[in-house]
Amino acid sequence: MLCGAKTERSDRMDATRATSVQARCIGDTAIIYASDYLNKLTGERIERECKRQIEAGRHAVVINFRDTELVNSIGVSILMGVIDVVEQTRARLIFSDMNSETASLFEMLGLTKLVQIAKDETEALSSLSSSHAGS
Amino acid sequence: MNHERIFGHISRDDFVGRDAELRQILSYSSDRTGRRLLIAAAPNSGGSEFLRQAYDELFFRRTQSVPFYFAFAPHPARLTDVAADAFRAFVQQYVAYRRVDPTLCRTPLSLHDSVELALPTDYEAINTLVESFERARVTGDETAFLKFCLAAPQKLSAMTKRMVLPLIDCLLFAGPPREDVLLTEIARTFIRGTEPAIVAALRRQIPTLSHAAGADLDDADVVNLDYLPDEDANKLFDSLARAGRVETNEQTRDLIVQQLRGSPFFLAAFAHAARSRHVGLTTFLDCQKVYIDELMGGRFHRHFSTLLNQIAPQAQTRRTLLRVLYESGLSETRKASVWTWKKRLGVEGADFERMIDALHVYELANSSGATVELNAQPSVWMDYLQAQYQLEVAGETRALTVANSLLSALKRAPQTMRRKYRREAAIGLKELLARFNCQEIPASLLHYNRFAAAHTGVDTDIVNAALDVEPEIVRLPQIVSAVDGSGIVTTVPTEEGRCAIGHGFDAGEYVDENEIVWIAAEIDSKLEASAELAAEWCERLERIAQEAKLHRFQLWLVSAEGFASKAVKVLKQHHAYSSSRRQIDLLSARLQTSTETPPLADEYEMVIPMGTDTELVAAHAVEQIARHIKFSPEAINQIKLALVEACINATEHSLSPDRKIYQRFRVEGDKLTVTVASRGIVPANLPVQNGNGKGDGKSRRGWGLKLIKTLMDEVEFERVDDGTQLRMTKYLRPRS
Repeated sequence: MLCGAKTERSDRMDATRATSVQARCIGDTAIIYASDYLNKLTGERIERECKRQIEAGRHAVVINFRDTELVNSIGVSILMGVIDVVEQTRARLIFSDMNSETASLFEMLGLTKLVQIAKDETEALSSLSSSHAGS
Repeated sequence: MNHERIFGHISRDDFVGRDAELRQILSYSSDRTGRRLLIAAAPNSGGSEFLRQAYDELFFRRTQSVPFYFAFAPHPARLTDVAADAFRAFVQQYVAYRRVDPTLCRTPLSLHDSVELALPTDYEAINTLVESFERARVTGDETAFLKFCLAAPQKLSAMTKRMVLPLIDCLLFAGPPREDVLLTEIARTFIRGTEPAIVAALRRQIPTLSHAAGADLDDADVVNLDYLPDEDANKLFDSLARAGRVETNEQTRDLIVQQLRGSPFFLAAFAHAARSRHVGLTTFLDCQKVYIDELMGGRFHRHFSTLLNQIAPQAQTRRTLLRVLYESGLSETRKASVWTWKKRLGVEGADFERMIDALHVYELANSSGATVELNAQPSVWMDYLQAQYQLEVAGETRALTVANSLLSALKRAPQTMRRKYRREAAIGLKELLARFNCQEIPASLLHYNRFAAAHTGVDTDIVNAALDVEPEIVRLPQIVSAVDGSGIVTTVPTEEGRCAIGHGFDAGEYVDENEIVWIAAEIDSKLEASAELAAEWCERLERIAQEAKLHRFQLWLVSAEGFASKAVKVLKQHHAYSSSRRQIDLLSARLQTSTETPPLADEYEMVIPMGTDTELVAAHAVEQIARHIKFSPEAINQIKLALVEACINATEHSLSPDRKIYQRFRVEGDKLTVTVASRGIVPANLPVQNGNGKGDGKSRRGWGLKLIKTLMDEVEFERVDDGTQLRMTKYLRPRS
């Protein structure tokens, strides 16, 4: 089910970025797709979409990095903000589908200590459903 | 180009070693920027002849401006006479130039003759100017008349719409008091005026002229005339000797050039003396006889006597001055307080100040305001002083003074040559320090024991290969001022060219804590230097540091064959670096000069505007380059991210006026070096602040530099003149 966000995406990284972020909802979980280059602009789009989803009542957010080739430090700092926002609302947050470079960057900057990491979207959803079942 | 001479005393072909400076004058005459051009000459460096040669060159090249040369005499009788002479010379030279007749410049002509010879198109303007001149002369107002005459080139230029370029020689006019009317008017007309002019003066007189003009030196371009370097001085003396048919050989020529410190004035006087005495200069004895004759009664004597007469016109004061100067030379520092000089000279107030000013301007002494130091160079000045002291103060006979002076000069000659040979054979520590420029070198080049243990008896190629992969690196400071040791401290004995002191910063940031002074010395030892020798030199260099009140300093000793193991221990105790001649050769070969580009470098340049996502354009470019030289995909990603971070840093922190990021990608051997630069001001604590992200996930920003350092093998953040530069290197083979 699509939940309001546009689905535009570029097939390869380009200086001209899409104006919105791709997202979909499965139950009360929102899945937000990070773009190929995560910088200030695209980071803020994710942050805005994340807030919007939480305000709409989602209890969990998965940020999927399957298209992400490059993340800069400003992008990372905005993800830190997203982690804070989600933490404050007691929602769940999972990062999934990171390539090895992105994974090691998050590791290097300490993000992996603050957020759950999943190999892919399926693993993320299954982790959410199992924890939901257990609660 | 060899034309006849107009004012030049020697032919253009024989005028050696000032080509670059002459080109500056010619370029000024054709492309004036409205700024003054000052010729700042060392005493006796041939400044007047330079100006005369410049006039001749301008005349024959038929430049757009009409050149006008005038030399102000040292003791003008009356202001009105000087003014009238300058006016007449100007009108005569103007007419000569317009008629393309150089002989008219030198022919004795009355003002009336010059007017009659004027071209019909110039006649009316020149006649009007001369009529005004006559009217100004009869008013009886000396200063007004002087002003009128000095401004004549500007007036005629305005009337004829033809530019005039005055070349004003004040070199012989160095001694008048600061409030002198003539000096003030010359300065106001030619330095402060709006029309182009070239003014030559002694280099230490320039501030006085500028002050008299009420003009800022920043508004003037300056051509510096120093003594000739050895090679040019050799050529000049060869040419003078050839012209005077004086027989010389290389040894005697070298001695004369050294003894006279490459001064064109003294060299010409010496050659002239040999010619008039009809003597050859084929032995040191021949040379020293001519030299002593010159000191006792020739041009050298007249030159210094004239200066001292001008400085101290009264005989008794002059004798006292001679005594004080000579006795100052006997003390270790040759320096005494102004108060001591005043007391010993017995001269007060303005007279004393004028004397000290003149000694300073003529570079016979160095006055700092608080102290006065006798200038020991050139040696001809010291020799004159000694001879005159013996004659006039000690009351010795002339014959005895001549004999003693000759003996001293002969005894000194081999030492003079030895000093030259040792200077030429020296490593050139001063120049080496100046090339450091924050470059990185293998540490073993500064530690003799390590180097000897690893590389003694090994071929240079193999040593270089080992140095290339040496893990320990020393980052050299940026030395901003490198001088000879004796230039900083005179109380600790060091040899010219063999001890250097380099002030600088041991990181790119110009802040107090980065200030460092390197004190380096080349010591004599045929074998590995002993512990005693090393200790003696370490203590000597530490004394220099103490005397110069240096807080942070690094000692560096160089000995041709290195250091014995006990000496190495001594060096370690003094925290001193040590190098052998071979290490210095290897080090020198590794240091790039600022303009050098290492060979075989494959370099790309790119400029991007600061703005959203423009860093991606750069990242794409570097990706292609890195891929081309077969970096792994992981390494390519790291380079891209490092570049993106560098661009973000530049955008966020540089307050850039042009909003541009300048990038260079250099492929060199097995590495890719990326340089990212931007103009603008950088917060002083940026390198500290940026990179302090703790990686604990708590701090939000300030990760850029830390990230870059993690992703790349080598990173240097440095401040350049206007802005910042980040240089980062990635090796194809990962470095441990």
